[in-house]
Amino acid sequence: MKVLTPQGEKIDLLTVNIGPSHPATHGALRAFVALDGETIAGTVTEIGYLHRGFEKMVEQGTWQQVLPYTDRLNYCSAILNNIGFCHTIERMFEVEIPERAKVLRVLLSELSRIIDHVVCVAAAAADLGALTNYFYLFNPREKVYGIWEKLSGARLTNTFTRIGGLYRDTYDGFESEVASVLVEVEKGLDDAFRLLQHNRIFIERTRGCCPISAEDAVSWGWTGPCLRATGVDRDLRKDEPYLDYETYDFQTVVGSTGDTFDRVMVRMYEIKESISICRQALARLRPGPINTTDPRLILPGHGKAYHDMEALINHFKVVFEGVCVPAGEFYGSIEAANGELGFFVVSDGSGKPWKIKVRPPCFTQFAAYADLVEGSMVADAIACLSSINIIAGELDR
Amino acid sequence: MSQTATTDLGRELVPANAQSRKAFQDQAFQILSSRFEGILDPADRWGLTVILPAPKLREAVRFLRDDSEFQMDLLLDVTAIDYLEYPGHEEARYAVVYNLRSQRNAARRLRLKVRVEEESPSVPSIHDLFKIANWQERETWDQYGIVFAGHPDLRRLLNHIEFQGHPLRKDYPARKRQWLSTNDPLVDPMVARLKSNGFTVLEAPTANAPSVEETDLLGKVSREQRNNVEKQS
Repeated sequence: MKVLTPQGEKIDLLTVNIGPSHPATHGALRAFVALDGETIAGTVTEIGYLHRGFEKMVEQGTWQQVLPYTDRLNYCSAILNNIGFCHTIERMFEVEIPERAKVLRVLLSELSRIIDHVVCVAAAAADLGALTNYFYLFNPREKVYGIWEKLSGARLTNTFTRIGGLYRDTYDGFESEVASVLVEVEKGLDDAFRLLQHNRIFIERTRGCCPISAEDAVSWGWTGPCLRATGVDRDLRKDEPYLDYETYDFQTVVGSTGDTFDRVMVRMYEIKESISICRQALARLRPGPINTTDPRLILPGHGKAYHDMEALINHFKVVFEGVCVPAGEFYGSIEAANGELGFFVVSDGSGKPWKIKVRPPCFTQFAAYADLVEGSMVADAIACLSSINIIAGELDR
Repeated sequence: MSQTATTDLGRELVPANAQSRKAFQDQAFQILSSRFEGILDPADRWGLTVILPAPKLREAVRFLRDDSEFQMDLLLDVTAIDYLEYPGHEEARYAVVYNLRSQRNAARRLRLKVRVEEESPSVPSIHDLFKIANWQERETWDQYGIVFAGHPDLRRLLNHIEFQGHPLRKDYPARKRQWLSTNDPLVDPMVARLKSNGFTVLEAPTANAPSVEETDLLGKVSREQRNNVEKQS
């Protein structure tokens, strides 16, 4: 492509497709770039390679049948999506879930946040050629997947929460396994810190790489760790506390320059905070019910359904008609691993959703990607992409 | 970036509670109804949604973003709702919904809604007020076919370039299949992008059309596949 540069020099730009199928794109993202040597002069991004029609398909089934679809949004932390959706619907019903369910949800949220950040940090370092971190961090992550498997029977797509509570209670030895996993995560994280934090190669590759100002990040709609890396101290767990987050003692982690280094470091320090929240939640975990008793949401249980006519009818109606969510329009959100995960829900009062629109945190980050990488080199674009942690599942829905 | 703005955003917020939310909603509704002819949307029973006439939208969004009392500086989402056969619905078929939040005060959240008629579904674009609106409006156009007047690059975002129709409309069958064959060369958007970066494009490649061999193969496969796809749907 023959062009005149802004300085009036006539040059030939080389156009290259980065992705959609490339190990560095972590999924299927396409960036079409025009290169002047190794420097990116122009970028156009294309998404939608993983578009499965989430919003159309959820309108076909009942409210409960939405849950397995939410697993497939951010599949690195499926339980956080489950919690986000159930929390939104529960707020429409204005029901409270029991104490044990709340504490368990906090515990599972933070464990999910840990493994999500681990994927981002380990992959970001691996993309820069620092593969050792990957093993230090992925071994404890594997242990978390062991816990998920015992809890829900699935490793990746857990579908662990229910509207009004949880799928089931924990198993014997759950607390001790979580406690030992936390120790392992801590050790892996310390090892990774020692490898990265003062590593000259890592710092020189990431410091000043694809930075964004706080104002631009807000205008791009950024939330979560990528926004905090620019120095904006915003976290829904602090600002609009849910699940009693205000009673847990933790800090928000804030960067300063909003470059790739800050984005990775914010996530690493957030893992530390999440470990601390997990320990506090473990200490609070007391036996008790895990589901609300509201008959609009919860099945009556086999004991009652087999012997009581009304309970049988209730069971039948909840399963076949679906949970009848109050009619109206509502937006609920939680702080997911990548930022504000929101569900905009329209209900006509029946057992099927009229509309559910997901507000995925990745979407805003990737929309800014073309602006972020222009003027830097291809290798920096790769480093930047792994630091904003794009999960194609929630990006494309 | 200015120093004051940074310190402002870097400060911790007072957590939102029921009183602060209520106070904000009363204040916001008061000003949106008196200055921008906004009316309260009864469908939102939990928070504040204000229905605005389309010509007032840009003005209202700009006011909410810039006014020091509000500073709704985060556009969370733009989407549309198709009310076709919604029980008891008598207004226009579509509505476009803008979801706003403030980074300066945790209690400030509201949604703006613009009703859109079925005949010529169009609302003014706000791509110049929020950078993210560009993609959000593209997605809404892609899924609902609502035109954002003044948008510089209204292309499909999630669906394929050859896709016909707008899938989130209620009259689009969920199980319908379409045969989509070629990839998007993206040359025109790239030329536009380079121009906006200050380059003068002297010679752009023609969109890389598939070779004769490929076209032959595509023709054969697609006829066969097309028949199968049509049988299934």
